[in-house]
Amino acid sequence: MTAIRTENLGGATAWILHRPHPSVQGLIRQLGVIGLAVREAWPELPVEAIAADFIFYDADMGHDEQFHWSSGQSPMPMIALIGSEAPGRLRWAMEMGAHAQLLKPMSDKGVYAALLVARSNFDRAKASEALITDLQNRLSARQTIVRAVMIFVMQGKTEAEAYDLLRQTAMAWRVTIETAAERLVANHSNERGTDDGRRIDLA
Amino acid sequence: MKRVIDIGVLLSRSGMYAALAHASRQGVLQGVTEVNADSRLDVAFRVVERDPEGRLDRYAPLCREILRESEARHIFGCITSASRKEVIPELERYDGVLWYPVPYEGFEASEHVAYMHACPNQHLLPLLDWALPALGKRAYFVGSNYIWGWEIARIARERVAASAGEVLGDRYLAVGDTDVDHIIQEIRVLKPDFVLNSLVGDSSYAFLARLAELKQETGIGNGLTVLSCNFTECEIKSAGGAAEGLVSAGPWFEPDGSYGGSFHEMARQSVHELANLLHGRPRAEMLPLSDLLRSAITSGYTPRLDPTHLHARQPAIIARLADGRFHEIKRLPALRADPYLTRHPQTSSSGSMLKVVS
Repeated sequence: MTAIRTENLGGATAWILHRPHPSVQGLIRQLGVIGLAVREAWPELPVEAIAADFIFYDADMGHDEQFHWSSGQSPMPMIALIGSEAPGRLRWAMEMGAHAQLLKPMSDKGVYAALLVARSNFDRAKASEALITDLQNRLSARQTIVRAVMIFVMQGKTEAEAYDLLRQTAMAWRVTIETAAERLVANHSNERGTDDGRRIDLA
Repeated sequence: MKRVIDIGVLLSRSGMYAALAHASRQGVLQGVTEVNADSRLDVAFRVVERDPEGRLDRYAPLCREILRESEARHIFGCITSASRKEVIPELERYDGVLWYPVPYEGFEASEHVAYMHACPNQHLLPLLDWALPALGKRAYFVGSNYIWGWEIARIARERVAASAGEVLGDRYLAVGDTDVDHIIQEIRVLKPDFVLNSLVGDSSYAFLARLAELKQETGIGNGLTVLSCNFTECEIKSAGGAAEGLVSAGPWFEPDGSYGGSFHEMARQSVHELANLLHGRPRAEMLPLSDLLRSAITSGYTPRLDPTHLHARQPAIIARLADGRFHEIKRLPALRADPYLTRHPQTSSSGSMLKVVS
């Protein structure tokens, strides 16, 4: 999906983690106008906030313990509400995982943009994490394949024969080459492990 | 005895969109005359006027001038979204309110603007909901190269896609550009079922004129309908007959063949609305608009504007231009504005959910 779907903010829930203060009124008003359900909390987010679509959090007085997740691990887009632009406070806001920010006092300006920017950044971060996990898995699978091939090589096969054998094994077991390699390596380790144990016993 | 209250007028008497501003200005002035003559109202208005001459950079300084040099807090004016966005910071600084009585593209809800015309759920979406079943699903968009044209096309694209339709083309012209040949050529080849025209001013008249020629040449005739959310009676004369057959959506059409259209009427109604809100409330002109509306609601008055987002409830009327005047085709009762399109259902009952997929 390339275009922003105009309708998909309707019915979303936003939690505002900020002490009751006039500077928040503009934000509450504008979120309501845009069509979000608004909930407020202070000093802690209740557990149900985990299902929120957006969290707005106070960067001036906020701290880690207010959240049910660790820094940077929020399950939804987060928008920092910044009053003091002191570097220490900004660092905390960023470490907490700001996907966008608004400056206090909040007015009717910038709220819609913050919602869309935060969601876009959140989605991009999620996609990057998923890609990294996938690449890491593939990277470790590649090492497993090499180890599986080496097992056959140690049994006297050439590298080409060993790879071919691995492929045939995978086909026979009706699994992917990665899975076959994983099983072969696991079996081999188990046998080695048992051998080692027996040897120790016999020693 | 009436209280005399200053109001500002910020409309261009020359420049690219002077015809539209003229209709709006006449509406404001007529409204002021009517309010001042109405003995049931305890308020009278005195106009403080500035002329931005259609030049974008003049809007903010002139708005500031009205707010600083007169007692006026309520200003009627602006045609383009660009000029509206220019004056909002001044309204914020000096606690002013802009009464904005022309159609716009939505996605804004300033606490200092009374949006008195219509936004897309009140013009564009009802127009497409009528057009897609009635005319066909092959759409072509043409618009002026600024936020009105872009945003109308973007929303329309979503709507057409949701109805399993097709957007054949999407072209923009700089404001004032009248070189439309390449667009006409494309339409000749692509043969869309309808053209959504969001051009403003001279570009629009040039386009309509060339399209009328194309229709005569090729006999496309009724097979190609032009739709618009911004073409009103105040442009019929400028288009010189070439707009015949055009289908427009808006909150109001002239019942008797006059040429003010909704630009005139909504401006006039805006002045009346302010008078009604201020009637019986001394100094209420200094209140923030949402407080003024809530105070009026408490005392039993039903304002046109929603106190939450300050947009007017409006009927959506679809009308076809024939013999020099608009004739109503369809009318939806007054709809609440949905400036961020978060409440409007994305698909109608015959939408993509029920599409045959085999």
